[in-house]
Amino acid sequence: MKKTMFALAVASALTAHAAMAEDMVFTSWGGTTQDAQAANWAQPFTEKTGTGVMQDGPTDYGKIKAMVEAGAVTWDVVDAEFDWALQAGKQGLLEPLDFTVIDKAKLDPRFVSDYAVGSFYYSFVLGWNPANFSDAQPATLADLFDTTKFPGKRTFYKWSAPGVIEAALLADGVAPDALYPLDLDRAFAKLDTIKSDIIWWEGGAQSQQLLASGEAPIGFFWNGRLAALQADGMRVGISWDQNITAADALVVPKGTAHKDAAMKFIAQATSAEGQAAFAAATGYAPVNLGSADLMDPAVRATLPDAQTAVQVNADMAYWAEHRDEIGNRWYAWQAQ
Amino acid sequence: MLSATSGGRGSGLGFAMPAILLLLAFFVIPVAFLLMRSVTEPAPGLQNYATLLGSTTYAKIFFNTFFVAGVVTAITVLIAFPVAWALAIMPARWSAVIFAVILLSMWTNLLARTYAWMVLLQQTGLINRMLKAIGLIDQPLQLTNNLIGVTIGMVYIMLPFMILPLLGVIRKIDPAILQAAALCGATRAQALRRVLLPLAGPGLASGGLMVFVMSLGYFVTPSLLGGTANMMLAELIAQQVQSLVNWGMGGAAAFVLLVVTLGLYAVQLRFFDQAEAR
Repeated sequence: MKKTMFALAVASALTAHAAMAEDMVFTSWGGTTQDAQAANWAQPFTEKTGTGVMQDGPTDYGKIKAMVEAGAVTWDVVDAEFDWALQAGKQGLLEPLDFTVIDKAKLDPRFVSDYAVGSFYYSFVLGWNPANFSDAQPATLADLFDTTKFPGKRTFYKWSAPGVIEAALLADGVAPDALYPLDLDRAFAKLDTIKSDIIWWEGGAQSQQLLASGEAPIGFFWNGRLAALQADGMRVGISWDQNITAADALVVPKGTAHKDAAMKFIAQATSAEGQAAFAAATGYAPVNLGSADLMDPAVRATLPDAQTAVQVNADMAYWAEHRDEIGNRWYAWQAQ
Repeated sequence: MLSATSGGRGSGLGFAMPAILLLLAFFVIPVAFLLMRSVTEPAPGLQNYATLLGSTTYAKIFFNTFFVAGVVTAITVLIAFPVAWALAIMPARWSAVIFAVILLSMWTNLLARTYAWMVLLQQTGLINRMLKAIGLIDQPLQLTNNLIGVTIGMVYIMLPFMILPLLGVIRKIDPAILQAAALCGATRAQALRRVLLPLAGPGLASGGLMVFVMSLGYFVTPSLLGGTANMMLAELIAQQVQSLVNWGMGGAAAFVLLVVTLGLYAVQLRFFDQAEAR
């Protein structure tokens, strides 16, 4: 009885393996972003190479670490936050990327490292619902922290990540080139001044809901989510003044069985065409420097890479170095 | 008959084997691994527990967890008891309909129900607009991102888990006992306090424990309807594991939660056994 069971288990494992040998797995955050990744990266990749791409998600760092340590990696390419990717590369959780397959000469050097290349980059921008402000409209990050001039709840990204801390410091008058190393005491002191007015958003859809309903008439958003609201016909105020860039990264967890396919997939995803098509679909900026020429100028004008003059780059290397320290303090502060 | 009884114990275990194996493979072993990580990461020792039990931030999260679970359990009992009583005494056809409604709501996706509450409770939501329209309030009430939101959302989700066990015991209570109490001169309040409640005790205890324990480990509802100031233990665990990739600390928090839960269960088992024996 036991033997039959074992044989059955082995047989099913083998057939499962045979069926999957052709396919690879791409993991991202779900929602419209992953839909666009599936349509603009995975589909052309499958047409070109014959390798199927199964979509999984959401990205979960705890899971990646557990998979790598257990030697049972089922995610071949993962869309992760760039600062995490840098940290994970150092911790040995990722495969080094094969730059004979991925053409890094064409990629924005801000988003290239040994273990990760940009997936796309985005900006945190000040957004508001004009229906809630009759007179003056908000314009700067200082306005975001000014509850006298612009009363009401404000919404910020809940998780510890580049963006909100930088915004607090900029609003407090720190010059963009003097942001790093981050003065956390000062940042939290600034955040304390509006703490009771903050509603945290956990995901893009929630941020849109909060703004559209007027629950939080002003906040700090991923630019693509505001673009999507505008595309739906909603009137949304956006200020690009001191928009703060952060990026997602494409990484390959260490020990994947489909390393070659993974590298080819990343090459396809970061190609000028792949990046241009994805950017047009999502409102996020391409990391391939050749993409701009392929895009409709009207669409390009709405993307973060048209706003470099007023842009502040979050320092991913700094964050990778201090991720845990900032994270612990961030969550402790939130819970207080 | 005799042979069936004597063989009963062994074959009973045999029938339970799939469940036991499943629990062993997918619960006991992973939990053991998690426990191990909590005392080995980042370095061997009990630092994770020391941090967890020694810091005021985490103390506040523990307090929140028990406080919310306690409030939710108390309110759930207050609402569920009359509902269960009404279900027990109303005509069978009606009670079947209401029972079906309760079960249906239980089978609806948890996330969908929680989002529905978000839409209802927010400042521009249906409830606030209604209250404003009938002139009860001028300014919208803050019903989400705080304890109120969490309590409303969780009580709603927990109600069936309280009503079902209560209904079980209340249906078994012979109405004649209450008549007897009335005949002996008991007022309605006395009949409730001295006759009905003690008889319903086991149902209250098992339902209450189930609701309390489920609430202790709840994630979705507190996360969506509460603010970070009311953070509960499950959210801390998710944060540690998913965002900070700190399995050691996450494991320690999970283990403390497990020990507390098992402890409560042990207490209830004793109490419940005595109640049964009576």
